[in-house]
Amino acid sequence: MTVRDLRRGARAWARRQLYSFFSSLGTLLSHRLGTLMTVLVLGIAMLLPLGLYVTLQNLRGLDLQQEDWGTISVFLRPEAGREEALALAAQVVETRSAQVATVSPEEGMADFAEVSGFGQAMSLFDENPLPWVLLVTPQVAEGGDLEAEVTALSDWLGGQESVDLVQADFKWLQRLARLLALGDAFVTVLTGLFSLAVVVVVANTIRLDVANRSHEIEVLHLVGASNGFIRQPFLYLGFWYGLLGALLALALLAACMMYLAGPLARLLEAYGNRFEASGPGGTGVAIVLVCGGLLGLLGAWLAVQRYLRQFRLADQGRDP
Amino acid sequence: MISFEHVSKRYPGGVAAVQDVSFQLAPGEMVFLTGHSGAGKSTLLRLILMLERPSRGLVLVDGRNLGKTPSRLAPQVRRRIGMIFQDHKLLGDKSVFDNVALPLLIAGMRYTDIRKRVRAALDKVGLLGKEKSWPPTLSGGEQQRVGIARAIVGMPPILLADEPTGNLDPDLSRDLFRLFRQLNQQGVTVLIASHDLALIRGMGQRVLVLSHGRLVDDIPGQDVGRART
Repeated sequence: MTVRDLRRGARAWARRQLYSFFSSLGTLLSHRLGTLMTVLVLGIAMLLPLGLYVTLQNLRGLDLQQEDWGTISVFLRPEAGREEALALAAQVVETRSAQVATVSPEEGMADFAEVSGFGQAMSLFDENPLPWVLLVTPQVAEGGDLEAEVTALSDWLGGQESVDLVQADFKWLQRLARLLALGDAFVTVLTGLFSLAVVVVVANTIRLDVANRSHEIEVLHLVGASNGFIRQPFLYLGFWYGLLGALLALALLAACMMYLAGPLARLLEAYGNRFEASGPGGTGVAIVLVCGGLLGLLGAWLAVQRYLRQFRLADQGRDP
Repeated sequence: MISFEHVSKRYPGGVAAVQDVSFQLAPGEMVFLTGHSGAGKSTLLRLILMLERPSRGLVLVDGRNLGKTPSRLAPQVRRRIGMIFQDHKLLGDKSVFDNVALPLLIAGMRYTDIRKRVRAALDKVGLLGKEKSWPPTLSGGEQQRVGIARAIVGMPPILLADEPTGNLDPDLSRDLFRLFRQLNQQGVTVLIASHDLALIRGMGQRVLVLSHGRLVDDIPGQDVGRART
């Protein structure tokens, strides 16, 4: 085979692809209602895992704003003064390589007065009832075990002479992390199930289309079309279905987010939290579109392959 | 060009459609295949088109042993054969032009070349003005000629026809056979299955006679006028 033959073959291949491409578009447009219904089903099927995923991503964003959840509050004994507080702080920094912020009773009082609104009531006390407080944030490497570190540090701090009480908000963090992990698993399961649904819906739609065009396929066979040539327009068709379904899912997601953003922001505002919903992002959109198209392609391939196998039976019947 | 050597075709269930058939077609020959319906004419054509495989014996087309050719190469074999069907096998939802262009689209030919070739083929069958029509709006004879245009548009070296005059009146049938003769004179090997004996006799070409799947007679062209068929 010469280079010229190869080039001619490539051009012929490209022309056949072009023909299949336009032929599949023609099919989509000539069955507008059917196309619309199929795409609607696909879009909704893709929206469910996608929506849950985006919700979880937003929750995780909230979590990040509260990164001091791993922080341990260490209340010193009332009789302990500035020197003990600073000494302990220095010790923690040196031996446990954690971040420490010291809060004097005066600072604590000011904070409390501001946050609680009991400023007036506080002035009734003769002396400041608050102890010195250390805010200890353990340093955990990426992927390290925060739980173990917080527990170890809490135990060690609790054993110190000047310490009255150690309080870790760790349980909350832990619960949230576990809920998010459960959500992740849920997204994985849903994505698997609904991907299967997308493949099945596309396969079934293409199967009907193939059956409707069995005469055309027979004629193509008779005039020398290869299975590849017959398969191609249906593969494109499956790809379009998947891609359009993914586009619709993204559009529905955007609509849902716009609709929910207002009430959600008001709710979180009541908790003193500023919140801005984030979508799947550019990469996410691209992944959804590509996966949608590929799932459609897979469905179409399964449907056509099954049909072409039936055709090949006509070749059988040879004596052993 | 086409050679059968002791070919049998048995369908699952034991029905023997073709039994121990041997004959040869030289390149550029024109041959009629006749016999009562069910004699095995269609099966014989289907064997040449690789729509069936022989149960026994050798089918050689263009030097290729079809029994040993894998299914995935069947399209290559079919592209070198123009086939004309009794029921035309046209696509009703595509224009005459698109129907005739089909083999060229499959070959991946350039659109400008396709246009030229299709118009030439339609011209040859006398349907140049009908390229934008839809096959269901045409008469039976015109539809058959669209089928012929599609068969010859790729300029295959072999032309097969299965009862091409089945639904046509005698005048149209004669015109059609004359068209086949013309194509044959341009060098195409032609094999026509037909039971229209009166017409076949008038053509003066070699005739193969099938009966119950067996080849019972092979009459040379010069004897056809006075044969006992």
